[in-house]
Amino acid sequence: MYGSTYNGTKSFSQNDIQTANATGFGAATDDYSERGIDLNEQLIMNKPATFFFKMNSDAMTEAGIFPGDVLIVDRSLKASSDKIIVAAVNDDLVVRYFKQNQQLFWLEAANKRYGNMVLEEFTVYRPWGVVTCVIHIIEPALKAFSAPKKSGK
Amino acid sequence: MIAIVDCNSFYCSCERVFKPSLWNKPVVVLSNNDGCIIARSDEAKAIGVGMSGPYFKAKPLIEQYGVATFSSNYNLYGDMSWRVMETLRELMGKENVEVYSVDECFINMDKVPKEQWQEMAEKMRDTVEMWTGIKVSVGVAPTKVLSKVANRLAKKNKLATKCVLLLNSPRKIEQALQKTLVEDVWGVGGKYAEKLRRYNILTAFDLSKRDLNWGRNNLGGVVGERLLRELKGEQSRIMENPLIDKKVIATTRMFGNPVKDIKSIKEAVATYITRAAEKLRRQHSAAKTISVFVVPKEDNFNPRFRHGPSIGGYTTLPLATSLTNEMIKPAMGIVDQIFEQGRTYKKAGVMLSSIVPDNSIQGNLFEVGNKKNEQRLLMSMMDNINFSMRDDILKFAASGTTRNWKMQKNFHSPRYTTRWGEICKVN
Repeated sequence: MYGSTYNGTKSFSQNDIQTANATGFGAATDDYSERGIDLNEQLIMNKPATFFFKMNSDAMTEAGIFPGDVLIVDRSLKASSDKIIVAAVNDDLVVRYFKQNQQLFWLEAANKRYGNMVLEEFTVYRPWGVVTCVIHIIEPALKAFSAPKKSGK
Repeated sequence: MIAIVDCNSFYCSCERVFKPSLWNKPVVVLSNNDGCIIARSDEAKAIGVGMSGPYFKAKPLIEQYGVATFSSNYNLYGDMSWRVMETLRELMGKENVEVYSVDECFINMDKVPKEQWQEMAEKMRDTVEMWTGIKVSVGVAPTKVLSKVANRLAKKNKLATKCVLLLNSPRKIEQALQKTLVEDVWGVGGKYAEKLRRYNILTAFDLSKRDLNWGRNNLGGVVGERLLRELKGEQSRIMENPLIDKKVIATTRMFGNPVKDIKSIKEAVATYITRAAEKLRRQHSAAKTISVFVVPKEDNFNPRFRHGPSIGGYTTLPLATSLTNEMIKPAMGIVDQIFEQGRTYKKAGVMLSSIVPDNSIQGNLFEVGNKKNEQRLLMSMMDNINFSMRDDILKFAASGTTRNWKMQKNFHSPRYTTRWGEICKVN
């Protein structure tokens, strides 16, 4: 059970490299074959600490995060001012800019219709992780492709 | 020095990671089929929810206090477990981490200077929580058994210890042993605890004062001697290699609803065989003996048999195999033998044993198989497809398509970390 869930990008073996398997002449490119681009390798810095979320509101549209977008969140990064973070505020998980000015902390939306959430003594607040990347799918065919498949639970 | 890192109420903690509303609330997790309570958060323990009791018995209490209740979500727990262990491997070095179970692992601290033991234990606690959201307790001591003692005390006194307890002097070890009853020592079962009490050995401290010979004579031979050595602070179970190959592979499940017809039982058994054979191939083994059993539902509830007696049979194959199709057929034969028309069944299971390595299967002169390689390849292909597509997308027809007997999971949480369609929504 352990480890089987992931095929981590770091455990890449030479067998995973594509070769032409040409039946005639050995393909000239085979000597130069290398690992193809893998988004996991580029976008995930720390796998055990990386989680995916789905944006469910328009609170961050001016920061380029739209409803339905997928967020990559890294828990091992520290929340600091001006970073976009996922935070737990009074029982809910929200995505906002984290702002800090001396002793004052607040969460700020990237949409004028949303107010700031000031983190006072009585607000139950906890940072959850730092948003490192937004995946915004535009091609309808890809949207359909990546939509949840019907699954037998 | 050895540390043990143990997750606090692991299954409940996993359910809480994505649900801030539950962070200080009572939570319980139910076993397969929602039958029993298998995990409780501290808050649930505090209001008196008992462990391992049937769910229906605790239900009034659960409803009264609004305890959050979940069916077991093993996809989530397995993934979170990997994250916790991987975090520790990153931090401490792969070679120093021995995964002991889904929620605990031993850490070899020999390379950590003694001034840094406390600091390192706190760092493990903090890093695991930061990276994964799972809270852990850490016990550090000269031996595995003592580290378990430390861990247990750390967990019991979370406020005072902040979930870290270091036993780095004879005096601290002595105090910890005095606070630990013999039945709470790792490796002392209920039967031995009773025996020890008859000798007036009540605490771990009392036990640690006995000499090794006494341990060998009274606590099951060499195992007892090792236990005593460990209690006295001398390492005697070296860091073990990760569990290698299982000698027996079993898959058993309760049915979602009791089953009366042989067809459903055959489908279930074929499905369990498929799962067990898959596990067998993953460890590159083959099996020679196939056992199947069913458990009838008793009309008169007999308190002596919590699960009712099981009825089973087994077959020994001429050649050890890892091929699902070669196992389904004999298993179906056993079902035909043991099934009785008119009875109702609530559970079935299969067991594969006489396990040998797949590449050194002893040949049988009369059954030379060169088709075997092809079939083995087919199995690998099937396993790869099933692992990458999930949900057993390729099945043998024998395992059926309707699956009326499947487990009930009425309180299932999303598989947040393994399914694209179930990732957590944020606002």
